[in-house]
Parts: sequence; structure tokens; C-alpha cells
Amino acid sequence: MKFQIIKNKLLGLIIPLILYVAWDFLTSREIIPPELLPAPKVIFDTWWDLQSSGELALNMKMSLLRVGFGFLLGAISGFLLGTAMGLWKPVELYLNPLFNFFRQIPVVAWIPFLILWLGIDEWFKIVFISFGAFIPMALKTLEGIKGVPASYLEVVRVFEYGWFRVLRTVIVPSALPSISTGLRLCLSEAWMLVIGAELVAAGEGIGNVMVIARRLFQTDVVLVGVIVIAITGFAMDKVLGLLETRFLGLHRSQNAQ
Amino acid sequence: MERLGTLEVKNLNKKYRSQNDDLLVLDDINLTVQPGEFISIIGSSGCGKTTFLRLVVGLEKGYEGEILLDGQRLNGPSLKRGVVFQDHRLLPWLSIEKNVGMGLKNPKSGESRKTIQEHLELVGLKGFEKHYPHQLSGGMSQRAAIARALVNRPEILLLDEPLGALDALTRMYMHQELERIWMKEDITMIMITHDVDEAIVLSDKIVVMSSRPGTIKKIIPVPLARPRDRAGYDFANIKEEVLAEFQLHTDHPFTYSI
Ligand SMILES: Nc1ncnc2c1ncn2[C@@H]1O[C@H](COP(=O)(O)OP(=O)(O)OP(=O)(O)O)[C@@H](O)[C@H]1O
Ligand SMILES: [Mg+2]
Repeated sequence: MKFQIIKNKLLGLIIPLILYVAWDFLTSREIIPPELLPAPKVIFDTWWDLQSSGELALNMKMSLLRVGFGFLLGAISGFLLGTAMGLWKPVELYLNPLFNFFRQIPVVAWIPFLILWLGIDEWFKIVFISFGAFIPMALKTLEGIKGVPASYLEVVRVFEYGWFRVLRTVIVPSALPSISTGLRLCLSEAWMLVIGAELVAAGEGIGNVMVIARRLFQTDVVLVGVIVIAITGFAMDKVLGLLETRFLGLHRSQNAQ
Repeated sequence: MERLGTLEVKNLNKKYRSQNDDLLVLDDINLTVQPGEFISIIGSSGCGKTTFLRLVVGLEKGYEGEILLDGQRLNGPSLKRGVVFQDHRLLPWLSIEKNVGMGLKNPKSGESRKTIQEHLELVGLKGFEKHYPHQLSGGMSQRAAIARALVNRPEILLLDEPLGALDALTRMYMHQELERIWMKEDITMIMITHDVDEAIVLSDKIVVMSSRPGTIKKIIPVPLARPRDRAGYDFANIKEEVLAEFQLHTDHPFTYSI
């Protein structure tokens, strides 16, 4: 059992490893010119330089702060809207069409207006991120609450539960897995958008480091940026995933049956 | 003194609306159930048994006719009418103990704990308090659902094929248990079943339904002394009478299911 799990994880590493070897081979022999794609070793050195000079940490801190605020703002408002629409039919009738309309708009389409309204400083970035984070959170919360099986609600109707007990006994436990998925989607969206926002508007941040590096043709720095973004995003999702298993793990398997 | 819990159903019609036309599911149902009676409803699949039960529970609205409890029209579900659904409907995120305690006002109190424990013992689930529904077999889940429905001492217990998922031996054991619970709690029970023997062993009256639309074809009283002898002559006669309603005949009554 344990062995099988480890084996399955190892399978996922095979192709990345092959790609890495190919990358190393093609770049170190300069079959691909270094201006287009730097060699792994160069990347590693550049990363080490950025790391030891403190530049990377400083910019990461800025990006993560923005993600944090944007994520919180988006997740909370999305959760509130989703909950309100899920629990109260009139709210759903009034707001769901508007929400469905709003969510068709790619978040990047808001950039011109957001800049016009908020300038290009922190508020722009945070609000931009929260727009993106808001949508999956509202959607998944609504979905979770709407998906509460009617058969369970009938059981508690027979027991004459008050609304609070219905909420606590049936709705929350039943909707939680979906809400938790919403949270994860919301965080990864926020992380993508912070890079987007920083590519657009100057200031510190990991995206901005990449913009500047591209202008200076420092492809190695750009690539370090790409890898750091990937690893951070991966790590954030893993952490949320672990928290989810920790708090809902049992729960999820029970719901799944 | 007259006891409470008389259920009267008068000229009950129930239609379900499908795309264009209405589907008449129950057609002119008339039935009176005295307090403390054990009634079985038997009939082919899709004849409207569950629909009837849901109407009596108060979960289904929109019908013609009257459903009266002690002369009062029903007004939605109530703690007084417990139900064991055809699918057991245990909440997957609650332990068996908590599921069984769902019908209690304050499930954490010492008294509630004792009641829960008693009911778990009653259905033979002692030792499974901390288990979750997905760790139970189908039959165990049904027994847990029975315990949950009984725990708040309803006046009327409605059971929708409560023993359907049990093997023959456990089923016979549960017949004894149900009979014992029914006598001890002095409760009215209305049970849907497909098992003729089960109906005869447990019921005071057997309601035979026919389908499309669902009507009551016949009400067969079972005036046998309890506990009932499945091998007895009278038992066989009543079985013959019930099966005749389904154009089935038997020389020798083993188990027949409809
Ligand atoms: N919500 C509904 N909407 C429309 N039609 C329904 C609905 N519920 C049940 N029916 C129809 O009503 C009829 C009776 O259904 P019901 O569930 O009462 O049957 P049943 O006698 O309990 O059958 P079984 O023994 O298989 O459980 C069926 O023809 C079914 O298609
Ligand atoms: Mg049914």
C-alpha cells in the first residue's frame, strides 16, 4: 500500500527528469543559444546571487503581501456573496444573474478601469487580485450550499430543527468540501494575478523583477522568476491541501461514498 | 379514555405533475389507523407506497382529500411522526452515536447519552457508537436509522422497507425486535414491505395496494395471537389470502416476496 503510493509519486517525476536532462544537454552544448534559454547551472547561479543579495526575498515579500491582502479581500467577499445566495433565495434571484454576467469578464479586462480609478499603486494590485479571487470563492460556496442533498434536509425537517441547527448539522458539513476547494482555487488565482499586476504596473515584486530583467535581456533572471513563481504556487496549494486533509480529510472520504 | 394518535386518511388523491399531463399516483385512499396498531402496506414497485408515507409524514404537499391526526389536518413534519426512509439517510459526517441522537433536543446531556445507548443496544449496534456510516453494512445502517427514528419516542413510526437490506436471519431477528419495541413503546407503526411473511408476522392489518393509479385493493386483518407461528395453519391461510391478491398461489408457504 505504502509502497504503491511512493511508486505512483515517483512516476510523476520521470518526465520532469527527462526534460531536465534534455534541457541541460541542449543548453550546455549550446544547441539552443544561451540568449534564448540559459543552462540549468546558470539559472542556479543567478538564483543564488539573487538570494544572497536579498533582492529575491524583498520582492517575494512584496508579492506575497499583495497576494495575502487580495486573497483575503476576495475570499471573504466571495464567501459572503456565495453564502447569501445559497441560503436566501431572494438574494440569489436578485444577484445571481449579475454575478454570472460579471464572472464572464476576464479579470485582465478590468485593468484599464482599475488603473483609472485606483492608480497603479498597491490598491490597484490588491483590488485586481481580489476581483479574480472573489469569483471562484463565490461560485464554489454557492455550489456547496446548493448541493446539500435534499434528502438530508428532509431528515432534519422531520426532527423540527431550527435554522441554526440545520446550518450546523447539515449545511455546513455538507458544503465544506466545496468551500475548501473554492479557497484553494481562490489562492492560486490570487497568486497568478499578483504576477499579472506586477507585470503591468511597476513597483517591487517578483513580477516586476522579471519585467526589468526582460528589458535588459537577462533571460536567466526571467527564468529564475518563472521557477520561483511555480514553486511558490505549488507550495501554497500543497499547504492548503494539507490543511484540508488535516481538517476535512475524514470528512471528504465520508462524503465521497 | 380515548388515546391520542388516531390517523385518518379520507379520499386522498395525489398527482405528480410531469411535463404536460398529471400523473395520478394515489387514487382515493381511505384508511384509519388506531393508536397502537401495526399496519403493513404491501404492493408492487412504483404503486405509490413511498408517496403515501411521505404525505403522512408531512414532507409532501399538494394533495386532495384529508389526512387527519386526531381530527386535525397535518401541518408539515413533526417529531411526533418518526420516519425510517427507504434509503437510510444517515448523515455521513456524524458518528453512529450522533446520528442516533439527532432527534433529541440536547443530545449531549447525560440522559440523552443513556437513551442513545439504550437504542443502540435495542438494534444490536452496541460497540459501533464511534463508527461512521460508511463503515457500516447496509443492514447495520438500516438498523441505525431505526434507532434514530425511535429515539425521540414518536407517536407514529413510519417505516419504508426498513429491513430490505437485511439477510433472512437478521431479518427474522429484527421482526422479533420490532415487535418487542412496538409493544414496549406502545407506538403506532406503519410499515411498507415487499415481504409477505414479514407483514403477517408483524401486522394487525395488511393494506394491499394495486398500481397505476395506486389504490387500496384490500385490507386484510391478521387476527392471530402473538408471537406468531410462521409454520402455523392460520398463518398459511392468511398468506394464501394475501398472495391471491397478486394472482400468486402457494401450496407451501416459504418466503414469497412481491
Ligand atoms: N417527485 C416525484 N415527481 C414525479 N413523480 C414521482 C415523484 N415521486 C414519485 N413519483 C412517481 O410516483 C409513483 C410512485 O412512486 P413511489 O416512490 O411512491 O413508489 P413505491 O410504491 O414506493 O415504489 P417502490 O416499492 O419501488 O419503492 C412512481 O410512478 C413514480 O414515478
Ligand atoms: Mg418506495
